[in-house]
Amino acid sequence: MNSGLNIRRSLEVIPGIISWGIIILLVILSILHPVFCAIIIIVFDFYWIIRSTYLTTLLVMAYQKLHRQKDKDWLKECQEVTPGWQELYHLIIFPVYKEDLQILRPSLEALKVCHYPKDRMIVVMAFEERNPDSRKNAGILEAEFKDSFLRFLPTFHPDGLPGEKRTKGANSTWAAKKAREFLHSKGINEENVIASCFDADTCVDKEYFGCLSYHFLTSKKPHQASYQPIPVYNNNIWQAPSFARIVEIGGSFCQMIESMRLEKFVTFSSHSMSFKTLVDIDYWPVDMISDDSVIYWKAFLFYQGEYRVIPLYITVSMDVAYSNTLLKTIVMQYKQKRRWAWGVENFPFVVSRFLQNNQIPFFRKIRRSFHLLESHVTWAVWAIILLVIGPLPVLLGGAFFSHMAIGYNLPKITGLLFKFTLFTSLTWIILSRTILPPRPRGVSGLRSILMVLEWGIVPFVILILGSTPALDAQTRIMLAKYMEFNPTEKARKMI
Amino acid sequence: MYNEQRIRGILFYLSVSIFLIGLPAILSFALGYKFNPATFKFTKTGLLVIRTHPEAADIFLNYKLLNEKTPATIRELLPGDYNLSLFLDRHYPWSGKVRIEAGRVALMEKTILFPLRPNIKQLNKDKISSFWVDQKESKIYYFNRENNAIYRSNLEGEDFEEIGILPQDFSLSKKWKISKDGENLVGFNPRQVILVYLKMRGRFADTQPLIILEHSDYPIIDIFWHSDNYHLILITDRSIEILEARPQAKILNIVNLNKKNIAAFYDDSNDTLYFNDVQKAADGKWYDNVYKLELSTKSFPFQELIKPKSNE
Repeated sequence: MNSGLNIRRSLEVIPGIISWGIIILLVILSILHPVFCAIIIIVFDFYWIIRSTYLTTLLVMAYQKLHRQKDKDWLKECQEVTPGWQELYHLIIFPVYKEDLQILRPSLEALKVCHYPKDRMIVVMAFEERNPDSRKNAGILEAEFKDSFLRFLPTFHPDGLPGEKRTKGANSTWAAKKAREFLHSKGINEENVIASCFDADTCVDKEYFGCLSYHFLTSKKPHQASYQPIPVYNNNIWQAPSFARIVEIGGSFCQMIESMRLEKFVTFSSHSMSFKTLVDIDYWPVDMISDDSVIYWKAFLFYQGEYRVIPLYITVSMDVAYSNTLLKTIVMQYKQKRRWAWGVENFPFVVSRFLQNNQIPFFRKIRRSFHLLESHVTWAVWAIILLVIGPLPVLLGGAFFSHMAIGYNLPKITGLLFKFTLFTSLTWIILSRTILPPRPRGVSGLRSILMVLEWGIVPFVILILGSTPALDAQTRIMLAKYMEFNPTEKARKMI
Repeated sequence: MYNEQRIRGILFYLSVSIFLIGLPAILSFALGYKFNPATFKFTKTGLLVIRTHPEAADIFLNYKLLNEKTPATIRELLPGDYNLSLFLDRHYPWSGKVRIEAGRVALMEKTILFPLRPNIKQLNKDKISSFWVDQKESKIYYFNRENNAIYRSNLEGEDFEEIGILPQDFSLSKKWKISKDGENLVGFNPRQVILVYLKMRGRFADTQPLIILEHSDYPIIDIFWHSDNYHLILITDRSIEILEARPQAKILNIVNLNKKNIAAFYDDSNDTLYFNDVQKAADGKWYDNVYKLELSTKSFPFQELIKPKSNE
């Protein structure tokens, strides 16, 4: 094993070791030294309450911005501010694996009704060759949408190309290369092309491309930025089970919060970027699962740290992942969250490259590495500390601890502190109602009430679908049990 | 965007400031530290937790009335011994010493303040000599020796009613035993068994609420209910007998005893009778033994044994 691989392997174990170390240490302390453990828990609880209040304030700010920019005529803004907008082309790639026409058709319909010239849109449906339905589905969609855009281009990613894993990034890269051939054949300048890589179930807001074009054209270094919309899961949110809905709304809110923390903001899920940059950085990684965030880090490294993510306060709507039984839905959600948490692979990827890079300022490298590590470790341990370890000193500390002042005060202080979180929870509940689409016909009005009450299951959700999959992902990467890309099955219930 | 980032920066540093200022205060509170502004030092104190029954008692600590009433947690007490007194109107006061240790909690959680005038009331509405409580059915049964009357009321003495009169010549044993289902009561004297059907239903629906079964053979020493709530096991000074709890029931003698006034214990969960008796051994001498008699329908054809004989 060469030194590069050694370093990478060493970095892979760091998040898991820290997360497990924190958990094990606190459990041992709760038995051997419950007073010290209680002090740590109080410090953490207080920190978490301050943090959640701060982040909820950012969420409100992001929501206000989203609300202000809702229904804005972005194309008009483009026309007024930047006369050169007509030179822009949008390359839209939908990596598809097993998604059926019921999922794919609405995504294309959403593009078709966009408030943006369709003759400036090139749509690539990137199928996997190994899916036996690919050719048939491609033919059906091509017949339906070939005249709707400048070009409707189905691509078929061959299975088992050298150096590739079965990942979404490999498929997207293949599709982007095919699209590049098309651009060259039409003589379209790559610098004028914005590439958007969308999950197969992504339905864009009708103003999305106007908004994207505006931000691309008005930013100082448009090729040195990714453009991140707010992902919402409105396609089937009224039909989804309670806890799946909570998880996805929580995910949207986290993304809105992140959009306010520009120094940490990284691309996630469906997003857009300069096609020129995409080519320059050699496309998406073909052997990593978290391609949506790795693409940002590749660009960040390519531009020596002078790369950023510009938030777009406009939504792209996707499907809540759920199945026909509760257990299957929990498993499906768990796997999806574990795949998201597999983004921890970014840490060894980024830090190993930082170590070889002398161009990016040292403190920037330290700060970004720390952010990356801290976010994943926090993801894996916070709910466990709050919900599992929190009561341990009282439960395991015995009579001696319960007769200590801190033993008596610990439940009271944590109880009091968590009462403050009711305010933040209330804010989240109110905002969750406002980002919902209108209740579809056929859905009972009682569900509106249920959607408020279901926030009561948040502790269960954050433990089962928050920390646990993240800890699972970190443990797997720590033990070198690498994951294969496992796309989330999407289901839409007709009502 | 610039303005938002400025606001975010302000919020961030405000949050950090609240954390840094608030954390020492919360931790010192949790650990029981008290800040003394005079000396500008933290002193480790203890807590006193007081709970009383009933609540709302006045608290005097070192003869000084506190603002709190029980239940209360008195914080920031310097280590040492304290005189604690608890006063509640119309209750006996409580007082004692409590020791407060630094960083620890003194718990006074089991203090009962007893009322000055005990909460006592008479339940019987007529003369009675003895009583028996059926906890399961929440009833009290009373017996008046003067007129041999049996009464019944609920646990509050309400619904007091006479449920039967025993014959004047019937002298009731103090031993009353209720069947396992709580529906029948049996009492006895050496020559009679009295059955009181507390619930007139099932197989007792057509019978009198109170019946007396004469037993003229040998004096009865003890009676037990079988777990089927229908059979009675009678211990006399000569035998062990089975009696059905119904009018005109015949007696079945299943064991003859050699000893008078034996000791007996009946395990009604397993329907097993334990008793002692004497037995003549091969050497011609009499020896005391303890016997176990199984009367369970599971282990012994109990019903089959009794019914044909009782119907003879």
